[in-house]
Parts: sequence; structure tokens; C-alpha cells
Amino acid sequence: MTSRTRRFSSLLFLAPHLILFVGFLILPLIFGLGLSFYRWEMLSPAPPAPAGLANYTEALNDEYFWRALRATLYFAVLAVPCTLALALGIAVCLNNIPRRQGFYRAAFLLPTMMSVSVVGILWRWFYSNDFGLFNAWLGRIGITIPWISDPRFAMPSIVLMTLWWTVGGSMLVLLAGLQQIPESYYEAASLDGAGRWAQFRYITLPLLRPVLLFVVVTGLIGAFQVFGQTFMVTRGGPELSTRVLVQYIYETAFNHYRMGYGAAMSWLLFLIIAVFAAIQFRLGRSQR
Amino acid sequence: MKTSHERPQTQGPPRSEFRMRLLRVILLLALLAGGFFLLQRPGTTASEAVTLRFWNGFTGPDGRTMLKIIREFNQQNPDIRVLMQRMDWGTYYNKLFVASLGGRAPEVFVVHASSLPRFARANLLEPLGPLIAGPAPLPPLPVNDFDPNVWRAMEINHVQMAVPLDIHPLGMFTNERLLREGGFTQPPTNREEFLAVLRHFRNRNADGAPVWGFVFTTFRTNLMAIMAQFGGRLVSEDGQRCLLDSEPNIAALEFCAGLIREGLTPRPENFNAWIGFRQGRVALTFEGLFLLSDLEKQPELDFGGAPLPVLGKQAATWADSHGLCLSPGLAGRKREAAWRFITFLSDHSLQWARAGQIPVRISLRETPEFAAMRIQSAFARQIPYVRYSPRVPFIFEFFTEFDLAVERALRGTLPAREALEIATRRINKAIERDRRENAAPARSPAP
Repeated sequence: MTSRTRRFSSLLFLAPHLILFVGFLILPLIFGLGLSFYRWEMLSPAPPAPAGLANYTEALNDEYFWRALRATLYFAVLAVPCTLALALGIAVCLNNIPRRQGFYRAAFLLPTMMSVSVVGILWRWFYSNDFGLFNAWLGRIGITIPWISDPRFAMPSIVLMTLWWTVGGSMLVLLAGLQQIPESYYEAASLDGAGRWAQFRYITLPLLRPVLLFVVVTGLIGAFQVFGQTFMVTRGGPELSTRVLVQYIYETAFNHYRMGYGAAMSWLLFLIIAVFAAIQFRLGRSQR
Repeated sequence: MKTSHERPQTQGPPRSEFRMRLLRVILLLALLAGGFFLLQRPGTTASEAVTLRFWNGFTGPDGRTMLKIIREFNQQNPDIRVLMQRMDWGTYYNKLFVASLGGRAPEVFVVHASSLPRFARANLLEPLGPLIAGPAPLPPLPVNDFDPNVWRAMEINHVQMAVPLDIHPLGMFTNERLLREGGFTQPPTNREEFLAVLRHFRNRNADGAPVWGFVFTTFRTNLMAIMAQFGGRLVSEDGQRCLLDSEPNIAALEFCAGLIREGLTPRPENFNAWIGFRQGRVALTFEGLFLLSDLEKQPELDFGGAPLPVLGKQAATWADSHGLCLSPGLAGRKREAAWRFITFLSDHSLQWARAGQIPVRISLRETPEFAAMRIQSAFARQIPYVRYSPRVPFIFEFFTEFDLAVERALRGTLPAREALEIATRRINKAIERDRRENAAPARSPAP
């Protein structure tokens, strides 16, 4: 087979994914970048017109953009470490139970299989201030928590729900990582007199680092793109305290039909995520 | 016998090349065939049935009812074939906009009265004036059989852009058992009676859980109705100025915030509070008919329906309507078929009412069959004084600010006046931007 036909056939095998990837991801991405330099209101009689950096300067001067960015950061700062700690905790525990591991693994994984709409509606009912399940229980011991009806509690409540929903996925990845670590290391360590904590600190954590990095980076990317949970449970309220960036972009582009401005904010979000991901990769590599 | 296929066996490379070529030809053919099927459109030659695409957002039980009506229409009109597609309203409007802008709009589609101005401005609607009179062979539409205010809600700059299919006003759902136990024989009709119910249930418990006289559910519709009752207007007549911070609106919002401050109604939680009514722990709530099917699934809940009590100085409530629209530029048999379909839907809107809507045809509302729909007919008593959402192109920007202001005031973060003043400033800015950037005719490109 000549190298030309080889190249052709390899392209042929790649084609199904490549066509979708280019057609539905790369091209729209480039189109979106171009769009962000245009003023385009979809339902306007005025045609799209070049706007230079106007959309970007509008974003930087938009109080709602900053507020949405703050809400998104708050979510990420709470959700990512909590997910990591909890998932690691559960994974280590599961790794150490001798029997029925499969059952518990499945039990923790189960919520991740639900769609965000189902999870959202359920938790909306759990969280309701006067008519919800949680406050009905807490009421018996004389406590009520304004889960989603107070701006101070709303985001932590969303994070709590997100933990319940997503911790299983991270747990599974970490558990797989834990099971890759050879048992002999622990045996050698215990012969040297290392306690459980020392084993965890000096064997488990270092060997788990690549997996941890993966979980943190994907978790962070996911956290910056949070939308479903807040949209289903609070619609961004109370008083916009949980209106995250993706929701604001969605509303700008698909409720207000300001495509150019929406695209510009999307690219700003992309830049933010890229910067955070790059920092983490750098940290992960330098510690190796 | 020397066969042709023996030859390649002795010569390896040409055969694999041949296979490769064959593979390419097959792939090419497959691609072309796929493209051909995609490009094929339903035919519209004279002998075939005209195909109409009908898009809407009726994804609930209402969609099933609509499907039945369409089946009936298709049976009675063998020369027309209506295909219905439904999506949830959010997706629906996006798809409809994109399809319309790309020239692929469905022939007939549904638009809410509140979204009509934006569609009209983008030239995505066909003016219906010439069709309504029903020039032969088209059936005319009896305009006198519509409530004038509902009919006018489908007008943009005095041009009829849609035929109203139904109306869904905000009404009062009542928990009959709670009201009876509280000694109230009738649902409240005015402010005093309303407050009496609220005071009766203040700090009351049933089975160890609190019970309330009233909860605010959807802030937006609740407040639009109450502001209208206080005599408030949301935007000026010409749609060029926001009037949200006018005195009647401030008074209305302040009244509502006061109910929460005094503990007469729980902390606001927007639509989430609806679950309280379904749990039987709320006596009164203001909601739309779209929730009726929810309640009918709960036979243990003894509920009723009534017009909103007059909390301000006049009777008023909020409403919206589904309008039937035509895509612009239809001609010949398509146009005729689409109009016949629209008049059929209007004529059969009593059937549609079973899905929880109120027909806008006066003659249909006078039938005993409609009178038997107790909740719908109670809500329908409000039709003469319903108010629609502001019919302005910047409606989405308006609601963003409106919702935030109302929430701030109800939760006590800001006084009603200040919250509404901030919202008004921001909405006026949006109006200004809208006027500057979207003014028709289009600006010429900069040199």
C-alpha cells in the first residue's frame, strides 16, 4: 500500500468522528469567535455589522457579567475541592472494604445517571423553605434553613446538590486509580513500620497524582460551565445570586437574541477556563 | 476458458487498487444518495395533498389534545396534510427564529401575544387582513365572535398578525377544604376578604406543619396582575418609555412586600411555592390554567377556581394568548390550505379548552359544555379586564429587570420604590440601545 492510500484510508477511518468534530465543534467555535466582533441581533431589522471590540468592552463594563463571573467562581471554589475530598474519601473507604464493593460503588454512582432536570426538580422540592422535605425534618428539632430562598445559602445549597449528583463519577475514577497501586508497596511500607496515615500520605497520594490532576482539571472545567443545576433549582435567584456565567450567556444569546455579545462572553469564559487549566497542568507537572 | 477475473489474480497490486477505487465509488454513491434523500421535499403538485407544517410548544397533555384535532382536520380535508411538531417553548422559539431567518419557517406556527412584536419587527409574520374577510373560496373568520381586547392583542401597528386561539388568564386557585374549615363560604373577592383569609391562617398549623392563607408563586405574573389592579402601567402607550417606577406600581409592590413583612404570607420562593398548594397547606394562590392538569391528578385535593380578588382599586388580571400565525409569502394552494387550517382550529377551540385553555370565541364559551368546565369558566369571567404583558420588542430585557426588582422588594432587600427606580433606569437604557441599534430601516454600512 502506498503512503498516499494509507493516508487516505486512515482519514477514512477517522472520518466519522472528524466530520462531526470539525463540523459541530471547530467550525462553530471559529464562527463564534468571528461573531464576537460583530453586532448581531437576530431579530433586528438591522443586518449584522462589524463592531470591533465593542462586545468585549461592553462585557468588561457590564455589572451583570461580573456578578455572574463571581457566582461562577464561588461555585467552582466550593464545588471542586469538596467533590475531590469527598470522592477521595469514599474511594479510599470502598477500596478497603473486602466485600460488596460492587454494590456500594453502584450505589454511589447511581445519582450521576439521572438527568439534571430530574435531579433539579427533586432537590427543588427538598429545598423548598416552607413546603420542602429538609425543612420538614429539621422543623422537628426546631431549625429551618432558607436553603434556596436566601442569597447567602443558595450557592452552598446548589453545591451540596451537585456533590450528591456528581461525586460518584469522580469517585469511580479515583477508585480505578487506587486499584492500580500495587499492593506490594503497602506491604513493604508496613514492614518498615509506616502507619495508615503515612501510607496514605507517602504512597497513595503521590501515585494517585495523575488521576487527581485529571479529576481536578475536568472538575474545574465542569464547574465553570455549571448551568443545569442552578437553572433548574433557582433560575439564577434569589436576586441573581446563583445566576452563573453560562446562564447569563444563554439568556443574552437565546432570550435577548444578542448573538455577538453572547459570543464575546463565551470567548471570555473560554479564556478563563484555559488559563485555569494551564495553571493546573503546570502545577501538576512541576510537582512530579 | 480464460476468464477475465483470473488475470488480476496474477497481478496483486492492480487488484487492490481496483478495490480501493470501487470502495471510493461506493462511498461517493452512498453520500450522493444520502444527499438526495435529504434534498427531497414533499411534493406539491396539483394532484397531491398540500403538506402544512404546524409548529408549537404544546408538549404537555395539551399536545395530545391538539393532535386529536389535527387528525380530525386531516380526515375532513383529504387534500391537506398537516404535520405537527412540538418542542418545549424555550427550544421552540429558538428553532422557529432560526428556521424563519433561514427561510425554512413552518407554514403555520404559534406565537404568544407577548412575543408577537419581536416577530413582526423581524418580518417573520404574514399580515392576515386580506384573509380574514375570506375571499372565495376561503372561509371567513367571524371577527365579531372574538372579544375585542383579545383580538387587538394580536395587532401590531393596527395590522392583524395572528388569530388568537385561546386565552389563559391568571386566576385564583382555592383550597375549598381549608376555606370551609376557616369558616369562609365564598372565595374572597376584595382586599378586606382576602386579608381576612390571610389573617385567619397566620401562625396556624395542621398536623404539625404550618398552613398559609396565601403564597406568592410566579412573581412576574402575580405582580403584573396586582400592579394593574392598582392602576399601574408598565410601559408608555408608544412603548418608548418604562413606567415601572410610577406611584401605582410602587404602591402595589409595597402592598405585597407588606404582606410578607407582617407574616401573612411566607418568604417568597417564586414558583417553588406552588408545591405548598398541592400539599394542601395553602388556601389561596394566583396561578395559570396550565397547572390544572397537575391538580386533577390529585383527587384528594378539594380545589376550586375563582377570579382574582380586587386588591387595588379596579378588577384586573394578567393574561396571555396563543396566536396562530402564517409564514410570510405563502401563495396559491398553500396559502389557502393554511388559512382553512387556522379557521378550523379556531372553530374547534372548545375541544382545545379540554386541555385547560379558554376559547376566545364568545359563542363557544356560551355552550353548556364550556359552562361545565368549572375552573376554566370561573377564570373566563375575567376576560373583559385582562391585561397582556407589555407588547414591546425589548420584552426579554424588560422581564429580567422586572423580576429582579420584584424579588428585591418582596424579600425586603430594597424598598419597593428604590427597586423599581433601578429597574426603570436599566430598562430605559435597554430601550435606548434597542432604538439605536435596531431602528428600521437598516443603517448603511460605515464607509
